[in-house]
Amino acid sequence: MKMHTSSKLRKEFIKKWVKGLQICCSSKKNMDILERKKKIKLCADIALASAKNETTLWSIALISEAKKDDENKILVDNLLGPESRFKPRMTNRQMIACHKRVRSKKILKKSRHVCQKMKKMGPPKSNLAAYIAKKLVKRRTQVLKRLVPGGESMDKFSLIKEALDYILSLRIQVDVMRTLVNANEVLNQSDSKIYN
Amino acid sequence: MNTEMQHCPYTVMNIPGNTAVTSGTDVSVFERQQARMKWQQQQQQQESLFKGNDHQFRGLVEVKPDPGLQYGWPDFSDGCQGQGIPSLMEDHNLKKRKTHEDQKQKVVLKENSVKEKKIKGCSEENSAETSSKEKPKAVEGPKQEYIHVRARRGQATDSHSLAERVRREKISERMKYLQDLVPGCNKITGKAGMLDEIINYVQSLQKQVEFLSMKLATLQPRLDFDIDSLIMKEMFEVPAVAYSAEVANSAYFQVNSLLEMGNNPIDAMLRRSIGGPVSIPETFVVSSCFNQMQPGVTWDGDLHNLYRMEIQQDSSTIPFQPHKFTGLYEVSNLKMEL
Repeated sequence: MKMHTSSKLRKEFIKKWVKGLQICCSSKKNMDILERKKKIKLCADIALASAKNETTLWSIALISEAKKDDENKILVDNLLGPESRFKPRMTNRQMIACHKRVRSKKILKKSRHVCQKMKKMGPPKSNLAAYIAKKLVKRRTQVLKRLVPGGESMDKFSLIKEALDYILSLRIQVDVMRTLVNANEVLNQSDSKIYN
Repeated sequence: MNTEMQHCPYTVMNIPGNTAVTSGTDVSVFERQQARMKWQQQQQQQESLFKGNDHQFRGLVEVKPDPGLQYGWPDFSDGCQGQGIPSLMEDHNLKKRKTHEDQKQKVVLKENSVKEKKIKGCSEENSAETSSKEKPKAVEGPKQEYIHVRARRGQATDSHSLAERVRREKISERMKYLQDLVPGCNKITGKAGMLDEIINYVQSLQKQVEFLSMKLATLQPRLDFDIDSLIMKEMFEVPAVAYSAEVANSAYFQVNSLLEMGNNPIDAMLRRSIGGPVSIPETFVVSSCFNQMQPGVTWDGDLHNLYRMEIQQDSSTIPFQPHKFTGLYEVSNLKMEL
């Protein structure tokens, strides 16, 4: 069952990626290598996210992130085509506000907890191990939030779910890209052999 | 566990001195010891609760699952009685924790994880969470504390902590799923380690994407990729198994680029695979295959493999007539032998 869905996703991804690259290529003729790389990656990311069809948070976040950049916006819109359903759920300002709200709430909660604990707790050392464990977990969830697109505004719970899905899709992306690279390499090799 | 073993000789020496500590020089040590004792006892009591047993504290001590401790203390198994033993165990823990700061954390975390394995349906977070909740209350003696904990358990069923507990269980369930996903995660228990692995994995995947896109940028002089190649991949669903698959693809690439297939490459591909027109394309195929084959590889075997693979992959996606295909084989074989 999973394999089936992943192969479907894979096909979608490939299709969209190719389409995106075609669009990209038609716009400019000569690009330096870095630009090319950026375009490739961008197309790949957007293709991956759009292949998800708005089912996951991270894909939505990724696309809205890409749309922020004016340059990319055109590309994205073209790529997603007339069936583009990706309207950013919130405008930029709203998203920032949402982030701030979430963050301030968390800070408030944390400080309240800390106060309570400090009142009741004796020397903090006695609970050192658990305290350290918690801190570690917190720090790592923070890092994970930064890694997964759109993770900032997710609670710990859905963060893990999104991370899961994100990992799956990344794997597909890497796999496809790698096979393409290999195929290209073989092609180039054989090309050189013919001409020699 | 090795670190615990190393610390054993330390603690063995200190046992007789335990009772003398109060009168000794190190009063702060004793205080710390007491604090540790409380914490440790709470941990133990949680275990007993979670196991659902109502045995006495002595029994609890016997059952304490930490293998590290028990390993170094064979005496403990015989008749634990009174408060001497618990304090000794705490002392052991204390010593362990005193000596190395870093290892202290790791050891304790490991302990927790060991307990976690043995306790069914009780996650590490639960013990940490409930221990932090139990911390505030005063601790007097082991038995009394045990009773306190019972009362606390009732307290722990209020809605807030229940909801939290449910959340944590869900999280741990998802963690387990992630364990299957992320390679090499089976040996790690505990949230922090798991999160660490996940982070590393995500980072490495992202870096791979960067690297691969860079590589593609170098390989491809223009961005319009060989569309045929991609469609080939799509059709064949290359699972990235082997060289032969790539050679197969590239064979077709070459064919297409040479023949300059028309607007609809998909149709062209179909025609190709079904084994359409025989004469000229074939020679192309053969010659291109020739050029690609590495020296030392038998022509026949490889081509056969190629086509076989393609058949297998094709059959899943495209209906085609096998006999035509085999016709293609034979003709190409003939040509090769010439």
